[in-house]
Amino acid sequence: MGLIRRVPLSVTGILLAAIVICGNETSLIQQSRPLDLTGRQIEPFRATDAKAIVFLFVRTDCPISNRYAPEVRRLHEKFAARGVTFWLVYPDRDTSVEMIRKHIKEFEYTQGVLRDPEHALVKIAGVRVTPEAAVFVPEGAERRMVYRGRIDNRYVAFGKARPAPTTHDLEAVLEAIVEGKSVTATTTPAIGCFISDLQR
Amino acid sequence: MRTIKLTISISVFVIAIAFHVTTSVGLMEASSSDAEASHAPGTLTFNKDIAPIIFQNCAVCHHPGGAGPFSLLNYQDVRKRAEQIAVVTESRYMPPWLPEPGYGEFADERRLSDKQIEMIRRWVKDGATEGLSSDLPPTPKFNEGWQLGRPDLVVKMPEAYTLPAGGTDVFRNFVIPIPVTTMRYVKAVEILPGNKKIVHHANLLIDRTQSSRRLDAQDPEIGFGGMDVVVESESFDPDSHFLFWKPGATPWIEPDGMAWRLDAGTDLVINMHLQPSGKPEMIQPVIGLYFTVQPPTSYPILLQLEHDGAIDIPAGKEDFVITDELTLPLDVDALGVYPHAHYLGKDLQALATLPDGTKKWLVRITRWDLDWQAVYRYAAPVFLPKGTTISMRYSYDNSADNERNPNHPPKRVVAGNKSSDEMGHLWIQVLPRARGDVRIILQEALMRQRLRKYPNDFMAHFNLGAALQSMDRLDEAISHYMEALRARPDNVTALNSLGTAFQSIGRLEEAISYYRKVVQVRPDYVDARYNLGNSLLTLSRVEEAITHFRQVIQIRPDDANAHNSLGSAFAMQGNPVQAIAHFEHALRINPAHADARENLKNVRAQKAKD
Repeated sequence: MGLIRRVPLSVTGILLAAIVICGNETSLIQQSRPLDLTGRQIEPFRATDAKAIVFLFVRTDCPISNRYAPEVRRLHEKFAARGVTFWLVYPDRDTSVEMIRKHIKEFEYTQGVLRDPEHALVKIAGVRVTPEAAVFVPEGAERRMVYRGRIDNRYVAFGKARPAPTTHDLEAVLEAIVEGKSVTATTTPAIGCFISDLQR
Repeated sequence: MRTIKLTISISVFVIAIAFHVTTSVGLMEASSSDAEASHAPGTLTFNKDIAPIIFQNCAVCHHPGGAGPFSLLNYQDVRKRAEQIAVVTESRYMPPWLPEPGYGEFADERRLSDKQIEMIRRWVKDGATEGLSSDLPPTPKFNEGWQLGRPDLVVKMPEAYTLPAGGTDVFRNFVIPIPVTTMRYVKAVEILPGNKKIVHHANLLIDRTQSSRRLDAQDPEIGFGGMDVVVESESFDPDSHFLFWKPGATPWIEPDGMAWRLDAGTDLVINMHLQPSGKPEMIQPVIGLYFTVQPPTSYPILLQLEHDGAIDIPAGKEDFVITDELTLPLDVDALGVYPHAHYLGKDLQALATLPDGTKKWLVRITRWDLDWQAVYRYAAPVFLPKGTTISMRYSYDNSADNERNPNHPPKRVVAGNKSSDEMGHLWIQVLPRARGDVRIILQEALMRQRLRKYPNDFMAHFNLGAALQSMDRLDEAISHYMEALRARPDNVTALNSLGTAFQSIGRLEEAISYYRKVVQVRPDYVDARYNLGNSLLTLSRVEEAITHFRQVIQIRPDDANAHNSLGSAFAMQGNPVQAIAHFEHALRINPAHADARENLKNVRAQKAKD
């Protein structure tokens, strides 16, 4: 991961080191690149004239992740036409392509889909759970991560949820980006199924 | 006019609130000793140490087809959730079990010991190793069909309901007509909620008056909304059984002599808490009924403590308390308990203070969570002697710090049926120690307590009147019916009941005036019309009586009592041919109709003499 540079940002109240990725596909180690559903290696950072690239880490058998499907769909519909590219990322190497196809059909996902069996994207984004989002924006030839965390604050802990979210964190970040506002890097805690459990 | 002995019966109609819930209980016993053998640090393995805990406590829901969202039946399953399992067991989110230990002894407690939780934590921390295959206990097996074997009657909800993909949890009620044509006794009910993964709990309510169909008809979608259901009842037929489903539960079989009555025309209403899954889900529960020929010989009752009327929680209030209490008029055994509040509920307590001052906890839940509300049955009946005071104390958190608060920012909240309203109910199933059916004595105590809380309450006055009437304390009954009618002057059920009370003490003119008022308000209220006919007949106003009986028969052609009364009227009129025709009609409908048989004999004998 030598090409991933971590540049500390001084942001009040928000921990985070910015993560910057070169637009060049070599930024990902060849054999650990994410795959699409045909098994082809994909270079998601290479794209693009996208104003933002959103990775949404999900799992077929994670209830919290699944419960967010309608919200993910809503955000995709809202921002896809405004220059935001969405990728649904499945980090469980034991989840087959068939299981993923069935899952996206059942939950009516329309985004691009990536498998991340070697957790290349997991490591780049530093995500810990499903569902969790990571948002990258272009910065010259590079991609800078400006957000990592929850979709919204509906879940407070396992088994503890608000009836409705009171902050729409991911939506706010995307709104700022498409409106051309400067965005400071932030993270929020995401609640869901631990990706570390998939690394054993 | 000839004198013929004529026997007619009066119909008495009473409203009671019915809220019927029953639970079933987990498969496993809490014998965790196997898993608690001591270990040197660092030697924990899945096969030896963790599998016994998981298989015994988690697999009951977490297996294919079970209520859990994923399976936990082998090392691979558990390894892929290891850290998550450590977190959710440590926070005691899983396995779900709300009662605090030490505040009542419950059957089938689903609660890990501190030691088991620590073992899981250490196993995960040390790398979640698998261990020797020879250490692995047998994988538990689960049967997804009927747990009690093939039911005597299987009834499916007529039409499937589609739960939306997202949004807040849905609390919905579905009417399931039960196609029995004769009265049966039910010893067990098994609920197959269908799509278990989205069902948090299901309660069955018994609706003998089809009153829920009206609510269903008013709601354009399938079923009707609301977290709590009130079912009308036309006789003192109090709820006595918890009919409840929760994830991982095994169906409950009533003890001998405690079956409940299922009449022809009864609807079951299934009250469900559904949690959206992210995709649209179909829900179509199936109910299995297991009958017995043994009529009930023990009569339990569900006592309800509540104080909804005191629920008026200011926005932001962190610790709002309501209380209620009931002093028992006779010796009982408490069999189970069902606490209920909505999303603001915090600390739910129920305590019994015995006449000698001894205190017994009935249940305490310090971290109330509506998602896992359940019926809890006592490990052994809890004896509560006459004079025991049962008290409930519920607290509520209406601050913004309560994440589950349905209002953001917090708002004033009062009692109501919606999930954004609040409630405070405690149901306790008790079995009186006295022989026979003495529930009416408890009903009187409940309603007198209700009157202390709500002095002008219709239901309290009405139900108390009905209880007193059934104990033949008619003067007292009449005064409470009068009070009930002060609250709701046009309530036809109360008007009819008051009429029957007056009729019973022979004040027929007053009875007639109340029945007339009923049929003015509700011309199709046939019971009142029948009673009116009988009162008129007693006063020998035969022509008028005949008019009313004919109208009853027009609406209810198979009403044997109405045919008997009409036959009596014709007999009094000196029309034995018509009289005999109607007595015979009554007997065709109900060959066991003793009055009709007696009347028929008398009229025939009279006719033979003439």
